[in-house]
Amino acid sequence: MAVLNNKKSKVSDEVPTSSMADIAFLLLIFFLVTTVFPKDKGLAIVLPEESETVEVNQKNILHIVIQPTGIVEVRRGESQQVQQVSANEIEGIWRQDVASNPNLIAGVKTHPDAPYKFMIDVLDALQTAGADKISLQVLEN
Amino acid sequence: MAIKQGGFSRKSKTSDEIPSSSLADIAFLLLIFFMVTTVFRTDQDREITWPSAEATEKIDEKAKNILNIWVERSGGIFINDQPYTMDQVSEVVGPLYAQSDRRLVISIRGDREVPYMTMDQLQKELVSAGVVRVVFATELEQRMTRQRR
Repeated sequence: MAVLNNKKSKVSDEVPTSSMADIAFLLLIFFLVTTVFPKDKGLAIVLPEESETVEVNQKNILHIVIQPTGIVEVRRGESQQVQQVSANEIEGIWRQDVASNPNLIAGVKTHPDAPYKFMIDVLDALQTAGADKISLQVLEN
Repeated sequence: MAIKQGGFSRKSKTSDEIPSSSLADIAFLLLIFFMVTTVFRTDQDREITWPSAEATEKIDEKAKNILNIWVERSGGIFINDQPYTMDQVSEVVGPLYAQSDRRLVISIRGDREVPYMTMDQLQKELVSAGVVRVVFATELEQRMTRQRR
């Protein structure tokens, strides 16, 4: 007990660097794994080819007119009766109508001043309902 | 010149371990290299508010076969960071479409408030360029947020 501090400390006076590589590799692998390349997404449609016009029987068309306020007017084939609905009701209407007429075509006519998002809402509802025969037009008057 | 202790007693000073101190440097170098060289997109994002849709699906096409057409709220059209007028679109897209072996997919990235008139003109331009596959770029909308609206 008489002698103190005569033994040299065995603890190294350097910062331990041996685990540094592990840390760096861990970061490297973490970033390699978590990097997600943003994939393009959206609503796919197929445009008609130029000069490709098809005569369609009026009764096979579901007329959908989009007004600048976002109100959607639905008219079935030859009937003059107009039904005012909101965009998300289109899904149910399409499902109902296509069940009775499998050849149904959705004719979406958008008012030139209507914001693009209302057309997307209707297109979204139609695609959610599984419609594939969709015609996009601008409302002419 | 007597050799002390026969000259065989000194231990070699060379360490018997693989030097690992530079391993960290190598790893960091790789880390920084990949961080710097990673390129996410070829054209710059423009200031638009995405329309949202529930039926949003991923485009099943290689990134190099996708051409983005940006339509800003003011009506400005940008392709590959270059502004164009509406009449120029078909002239620009036509050759690119032919180059891609008719595999090009056009991703229309329009602001949600753009009047539909602009979108209709754009579609007509694309039709005259012969493009068939078009995607309206949207954000995925959850059913919950839809119901709240």
